[in-house]
Amino acid sequence: MGVPKVATVWFEGCSGCHMSFLDLDEDLVSTLSKIELTFTPITDFKDYAFPELEVGIIEGGIGNEEHLEVAHKLRKRCKILVAWGDCAVFGGVNTLRNWIPKTDVLRRGYVETESTVNGVIPIHEELPPLLDKVLPVNQVVPVDVYVPGCPPSPEVLAYSLVSILQGRTPILPNEMMHFD
Amino acid sequence: MEANQKTVKIMMDEKEVLVPEGITILEAAQRNGIHIPTLCHHPALTNWGGCRMCVVEVDGSPKLAASCVMPVREGMEVVTNNDRILESRRTVLEFLFAERNHNCMFCPQSGDCELQTLAYELGMDHLTMSFSFNSFPTDVTSEYMTIDHNRCILCGRCVRACAEIAGTHVLSFHNRGPRNLVGLDLHATREGSTCYGCGVCLQVCPTGAITNRYRTHYAVKGHAKDWKSVESLCSQCGLLCPTTSYVHDNTVVKIDGKLQGNGGRPDGGQLCYRGRFEILKTAGKRLVHPMVKGKDGTWKEESWDRALALVAEKLKSIRRAHGGEALFGLASSALSNEELLQFRDLMAQGCSAGHVGSLDAEHFNAVSKAWELKGEPLKEANWKRIPEADFILLLGANPYQTQPIVSTLVRKAILERGVPVGLAGDMDHVPPFVPFQFPLKNEHLPLFIKAFRAETAAAGKKISKNGKGSGRGKQEATEMWAPLKEAGLPKAAKKTFQEMVSAFVRSRNPLILVGEAVTGLKSPSAFQDAMKLALLKGVDSDHGLRLMVLKPYGNSAGAWKLGLSSNGVSKSKNAWKGGLLCLGHPKDLNSKAVAELGNPDFLGVISPYFPETLADRCQVVLPKPLSMESAGTYTSVDGWETGFTEKVLEPPEGVRNSWETLTSLADRMGFRHKFKNWDDLSKKALKAIKSWRPAG
Repeated sequence: MGVPKVATVWFEGCSGCHMSFLDLDEDLVSTLSKIELTFTPITDFKDYAFPELEVGIIEGGIGNEEHLEVAHKLRKRCKILVAWGDCAVFGGVNTLRNWIPKTDVLRRGYVETESTVNGVIPIHEELPPLLDKVLPVNQVVPVDVYVPGCPPSPEVLAYSLVSILQGRTPILPNEMMHFD
Repeated sequence: MEANQKTVKIMMDEKEVLVPEGITILEAAQRNGIHIPTLCHHPALTNWGGCRMCVVEVDGSPKLAASCVMPVREGMEVVTNNDRILESRRTVLEFLFAERNHNCMFCPQSGDCELQTLAYELGMDHLTMSFSFNSFPTDVTSEYMTIDHNRCILCGRCVRACAEIAGTHVLSFHNRGPRNLVGLDLHATREGSTCYGCGVCLQVCPTGAITNRYRTHYAVKGHAKDWKSVESLCSQCGLLCPTTSYVHDNTVVKIDGKLQGNGGRPDGGQLCYRGRFEILKTAGKRLVHPMVKGKDGTWKEESWDRALALVAEKLKSIRRAHGGEALFGLASSALSNEELLQFRDLMAQGCSAGHVGSLDAEHFNAVSKAWELKGEPLKEANWKRIPEADFILLLGANPYQTQPIVSTLVRKAILERGVPVGLAGDMDHVPPFVPFQFPLKNEHLPLFIKAFRAETAAAGKKISKNGKGSGRGKQEATEMWAPLKEAGLPKAAKKTFQEMVSAFVRSRNPLILVGEAVTGLKSPSAFQDAMKLALLKGVDSDHGLRLMVLKPYGNSAGAWKLGLSSNGVSKSKNAWKGGLLCLGHPKDLNSKAVAELGNPDFLGVISPYFPETLADRCQVVLPKPLSMESAGTYTSVDGWETGFTEKVLEPPEGVRNSWETLTSLADRMGFRHKFKNWDDLSKKALKAIKSWRPAG
């Protein structure tokens, strides 16, 4: 096996998990040298033409139709699918909207916010429609590794990634588990 | 294990153990250092066996058993941990998470949550089922607690705690099936319910369903694992409830009552809304520098040296000009015994002040006069004996405000033992089921007490003369009743009144609780009548009088015993030219106390916060720590006990403790305290309180 190819995607979430990964600081160099990063939210690409991947990583919940499509694509292309962070694992803070009808959420966000003047709910063919409820990734495609945390600490992210590269399915020990 | 206790031999995880007969498998495991996760079980509550988190395998049975409710049996084989058990526990946990809203990221309880801890412990890193996203109401009508049914797992701990510990029976399960939720009274919100806000439900809640509205934010609270805990006593009202305070970053994040290991207190170790919530309130920005008012009336920060020198100089110059008589010292009875004693000596001896008293001295004056009735030292009734009382009379007392735990004990007495309880005075916070209620204005209370005494005397004579009533006593009672009718009591009240009196006459162990509305009356005669009423039932040789005074401040009994009221020369306000006021908190000052101060030439205030209500008439303000920021002793409301409170927090930088401030002031007044150090002061305060005898 050559250098394992890895892709990460950012769905309905705050990018905090990616930030947390970058927080590895100097360890980032040694971690990145073990893998080949193909797609990430910080690389420029026009479509999700994933190559054959060893590891696919999802941050964020499944919140719109694009997320749904990409999640399926990624699942097909990768051997091991990882859910990073509470949003991907449980739905996360986005699930706050699951108790409120979608139209009310959009109206509140685009029209009724105090700082908005003449707001409209954006509808465009290039904008993926929002799903009624944001879902954890495993409600849509099978997930192999779960790394909960909001965000998971850099050490936890590195621990899980390195374990996968070493051919083990990481099970987070008690002290590495946190949901907040 | 006691020697004569029967034991049984069981196999626990392939280990033979001997345990007492009759205990549960869970207890047996705990005694043998085996951890079984629990959720609906709480050591201070009866077991319920509802959550199935503590399941174990017994004798290889295919059905797992809840270890918290299954008793041990000779020869039993218990397995506490195998794949099947773990799978079962994890599934139960997943169902709990999926059922309602258990998203830790937007839950204020995160970091201090048993449900979350269990998820970590059982390695629940995801859910295999989908969330239900059902919506339940959230009750934010209470100033103290948020009740969010979306985070409830229906473990029933709060329902049991409300019934078993608080004894208030406010919480119960409402609705059925998936709409099942914990409700207050008959579908009331917290605000519209008979809840006393003791917060015992909050303390036992293993999730974020009932959360504290103070110190809610994660940025303040952090994680429970980073907290420091301090065991202390609550000094708010004189019941000296044992507390565990949790401190994060020199901030108290929560205060728990000691539901276990509280030495068998009748309240079960609960706290009240004052000790659990009110104390977490802040009163604005803390004072950290001495403040001095300039000639132009503006306040400026000043160094300790110069502020202290100014106070001493002013007091000395007034003494030179008008004599010590013109000086006064006033202390809030919320202060510790040490602060009170040192302050008393500084003012009385160091400044030879004409009056050294406390803010609630008026209540003591009435009481001390009555204490002379018997001509011998009498002990007030011990508040811990409320659960033994078979008749309780509240005269002008509002225990919900003064000693909230007393109100729950009275409520418990009515609900659980059917104790006849009579209440005369203000009807605030009186549950509807108090049997004898007499809504009366304060000024009518003396009449009521007189009438009660007369009626009791008449009824007593009736009994002693085998049914033949004495004409005089009966007539007197009837006459007494007439003005009460004019005070607004309906005609029907007379019958209730007679029923109440006969319940009092029949009682063997009655208890009269007298409150501020009686002790605060101008004339001490009403309290004397209440004393005489109590004395009709004799004095219990072990437990003193059948009367207790619900005193207004946290250490009123201590202030009283240290002579902060009666030692003072009679106060003629015109003589108050200059003085010092020592406060535990600005809320110690009510408008009456502010008015009483008059307008002296000089007033210095020692207070943790700037006393806004006195800004126009004081010249110097010295900072002091809050009660939680210094150690001290406090005397219980009934005077029976004196307890030590720990220093829970560090005072803000720049704030000196009272010992230091008062010692420096004494130095500047040219006075030497007889206390070598704070410990010596503490010992002497305790001695003074123990050797206290009523005047006369």
